[in-house]
Amino acid sequence: MLLEIKDLFKWVNSGGNRIFLLNDIELTINEGDFISIMGPSGSGKTTLLNVIGMLDDFNEGEYHFLDQEVHTLKEKYRAKLYKDYIGFVFQSYHLIDELTVYENIETPLLYKNYKSAERKSLVADMLDRFNIVGKKDLFPSQLSGGQQQIVGIARALISSPKLILADEPTGNLNSKQGEEIMNLFKQLNDEGVTIIQVTHSEKNATYGSRIINLLDGRIINTV
Amino acid sequence: MLRNYFKIAWRNLIKNKSYTLINIGGLAVGMAVAIVIGLWIYGELSYNKNHENYNRIAQVMQNQTVNGITETWDALPFIMSEGLRNEYGNDFKYAVQGTWESEYTLGFGNKMFIKTGSYFEPEITEILSLNMINGVRNGLKEMHSILLSQSLSEVLFGKMDPVGEILKLENKVDIKVTGVYEDFPENSSFKKLDFILPWDLYVSQDWWIKEVLESVNPWDAGGSTRTYVQMAENTIIEEVSLKIRDIITDKKSELDKTYEQEVFLHRMSKWHLYGEFKNGTSIGGGIGDVWLFGVIGLLVLLLACINFMNLSTARSEKRAKEVGIRKAIGSNRRQLISQFFIESILISTLAFLFSIFVVAFILPFFNRIADSHVVILWDNPLFWILGLAFSILTGITAGMYPALYLSSFKPVKVLKGVFKAGQSASTPRQILVVSQFTISIMLIIGTIIVYQQINYAQNRPLGYDKDGLIAVSTTEETHKNIDAIRLSLINEESIIEMSESNNLITDEWNTAGGFEWDGKDSKLVGEFHIGSVNYDYGKTIGWKIKEGRDFSREFGTDSIQLILNESAVAFMNLKDPVGKILRNPGEASSVITIVGVVEDLLIASPYEPVKPYIFANVKGRGKLSEFLIKLNPEKSVKESLGKIEAVFKTYNPSRPFEASFVDEAYAKKFGNEKRIGQLVTLLAILAIFISCLGLFGLASYMAEQRIKEIGIRKVLGASVLRLWNMLSKDFLGLVIIACAIAVPVAYYVMDGWLQKFEYRTSISWWVSVLACGGAVVVTLITVSYQGVKAAKANPIKSLKTE
Repeated sequence: MLLEIKDLFKWVNSGGNRIFLLNDIELTINEGDFISIMGPSGSGKTTLLNVIGMLDDFNEGEYHFLDQEVHTLKEKYRAKLYKDYIGFVFQSYHLIDELTVYENIETPLLYKNYKSAERKSLVADMLDRFNIVGKKDLFPSQLSGGQQQIVGIARALISSPKLILADEPTGNLNSKQGEEIMNLFKQLNDEGVTIIQVTHSEKNATYGSRIINLLDGRIINTV
Repeated sequence: MLRNYFKIAWRNLIKNKSYTLINIGGLAVGMAVAIVIGLWIYGELSYNKNHENYNRIAQVMQNQTVNGITETWDALPFIMSEGLRNEYGNDFKYAVQGTWESEYTLGFGNKMFIKTGSYFEPEITEILSLNMINGVRNGLKEMHSILLSQSLSEVLFGKMDPVGEILKLENKVDIKVTGVYEDFPENSSFKKLDFILPWDLYVSQDWWIKEVLESVNPWDAGGSTRTYVQMAENTIIEEVSLKIRDIITDKKSELDKTYEQEVFLHRMSKWHLYGEFKNGTSIGGGIGDVWLFGVIGLLVLLLACINFMNLSTARSEKRAKEVGIRKAIGSNRRQLISQFFIESILISTLAFLFSIFVVAFILPFFNRIADSHVVILWDNPLFWILGLAFSILTGITAGMYPALYLSSFKPVKVLKGVFKAGQSASTPRQILVVSQFTISIMLIIGTIIVYQQINYAQNRPLGYDKDGLIAVSTTEETHKNIDAIRLSLINEESIIEMSESNNLITDEWNTAGGFEWDGKDSKLVGEFHIGSVNYDYGKTIGWKIKEGRDFSREFGTDSIQLILNESAVAFMNLKDPVGKILRNPGEASSVITIVGVVEDLLIASPYEPVKPYIFANVKGRGKLSEFLIKLNPEKSVKESLGKIEAVFKTYNPSRPFEASFVDEAYAKKFGNEKRIGQLVTLLAILAIFISCLGLFGLASYMAEQRIKEIGIRKVLGASVLRLWNMLSKDFLGLVIIACAIAVPVAYYVMDGWLQKFEYRTSISWWVSVLACGGAVVVTLITVSYQGVKAAKANPIKSLKTE
């Protein structure tokens, strides 16, 4: 078991009313899973993903990640935890515009204090693996959306996380590029990486092993 | 890691060229101002420090109290230095007296030069620790000797060693060069001394001093020298100063109770910056300017830092996304903070390096208007250390807000794009803009008032006509032949009139006390400034007779006649002064008649009331050392000067002819205020420039931030004018707040400054209207460029970017 969420609630108070963003979430994810979270706009998909990624907090409930009690951890330890085990892929890629492809991929290693030689070989591996060696000195603005997302995935993978969280990774891409990205995820999953993605697309959801359907912050069913 | 930070900082700078230019440029200009002023202050504070015995040197001065008014003088009796040596020998290592700097002619072969020098007792060379290039320090022991400055020696002798050469002083006395000393530096009180002559020689040339020194009690006779001392080891100047306080009163045989004299020591470290006295105590002097410019310099620097901060924070909000990404991929807060700090320190350091070039560029200009000799201390490590420390400090201050504020964001918030600089985020920036404009407006108001005051004083009635008036020093030959010179020049029609007087009309004249007259208040001490002149003086300067008549030869050429100025009449409290009699202090029997009253002549400071003056017609050369000549306005100045020179040369063939213009000397009275005015103007312009630069940057940022809003409004039908109005309104409000703060503060400060002048302008309301109006116009122009550009942009483009 990679993570487990029990009785989790997240709400905001608006004008005396309590609006639930996440309502009584129960979720268990094992290593090697490929989960798709689906649901209409505003159903809480991204919020759930952010809670899992520890970028966002919650009001009530328990969250265990690799036997750590996330709900009791201090911010600092939480950050360490996700830094070590989680990689993020975003819908709009979120590459740093001022850094080259190479440097973008390298940045997480800098934050983990890898030595220069180690960084070099790891980044080189990653460039090789995704076939973007020739693009390593380009800036994000010089790449197509699909290529940018590949860089985004490479960056998420560089510190070999156990879990990849992808928020509509193909949302900004055309169908051909989207398919490429999904195949990439499939391949990574086959190699043992756990993946949780948020998606609108039925087709993309079929790449996963399990689909969680959300509505108004509540899990309505799991397929 | 560090490299990564630098890299991204550098790329950000390159990518946003205009932002970088504004940011670094503005900061560099601000730093340059601070550096120039800092260097200038350093120069002022190190004035005279080149003298080895700086801390042990003092000038002897005295406070004289007459009619309840205390005035401070550096003139002392001829016996003072000897008296100090005899009475307080243990307290002083040296005590010397000398004359004030004056121009003398020095002849070598058949060449003659007019140069500036003083007579001094021999130990002056020790006190000033002269660095001898040729000869020896004690070269003033012999009566007929002279020490030359290096530059004078080069003028006279070129590269050769002049020791032993003979010069002719004032075309009369042979003197032997006994040494050459290194020139005094620019920031020494003695920098004007081209040469030094022995005091004994001075005494030998003047029968009066000899008489005084040989009289029964020389302390009674007085005299006029300047006196310097070097303290003995283990003495405290202030203590010794108290000890010698009553030396004159104690030594005088008869005590004049109406007249108090207290002697004190004024230490060398205070000469330059604390040289002004009022009621017998030091009230500062140059130190006021040091403070003034120190504060203004800091303010300008503050403006630049505010800009830097403002732009950095404005920019950094654009970078919130980057913060979010970095956090999501594992950066912790500390790392982000150091990244932002490194960026701002990089910028401020670049600005510092750039400012060095700016300083090198503006220094000559600054030195010209400030009449200073500021240099960059290239080889002083302290300068560089301070500069770098300062840039790091600036960088940290400016980087503080983005570093601490932005790094605190939750990544989800920024990445979702919900992050928006709300009202609260822009408040500090608004405060910064307000303070910037407050400073600028204050400087504008200050500048206008300084110029108003100068203008006011310049327009003050002079009481004479300074145009076409020139002054030439008399010599024995020309004095003797004044009537012939005058007639021949008038006949040639090169001049209108010519006369002689004791002083230049632009310098305060000597005083004499003890006058008596009928109806005098017994408590009043009859002290006046004495204008020793000859018959044609009034006609030469064109003074205005109010009552009675001018001097005239028709009333007997030998009798002394008196003309008072209006202030003297008021001082004496006389009604119908013409025909009244004044009794001379020295000889009670001699009476002189007042023949006329003239309108006040503005002789000394244009900012102070005119003092009581008595003008008397006299004859002796000792009292008449300057010719005053009114040129014929119908002839060209050059032609007339040529003719005058030719006539003077017939009496003094070898003496160089030198004439000075009264209007130039008069203009010098405003030198200091003009200098302040010019500098404050320069600083005000820079301050406004920097503020506008910041405003421009901020406006472009705001326009960028609101680009979507502008697009939507445009689609909904807003006109360019309305959009411009919307974008400019915010800034205008800030400037108006700044006006409200700046005006009262500036009025208060400037009112204080004006109190310094007894003759001062009043502050009028239009000054603040002008300053505020100017600030509003400048703001509108600055902001409009960006506003109009944003308003005119095609909305489709701006809306598509989301």
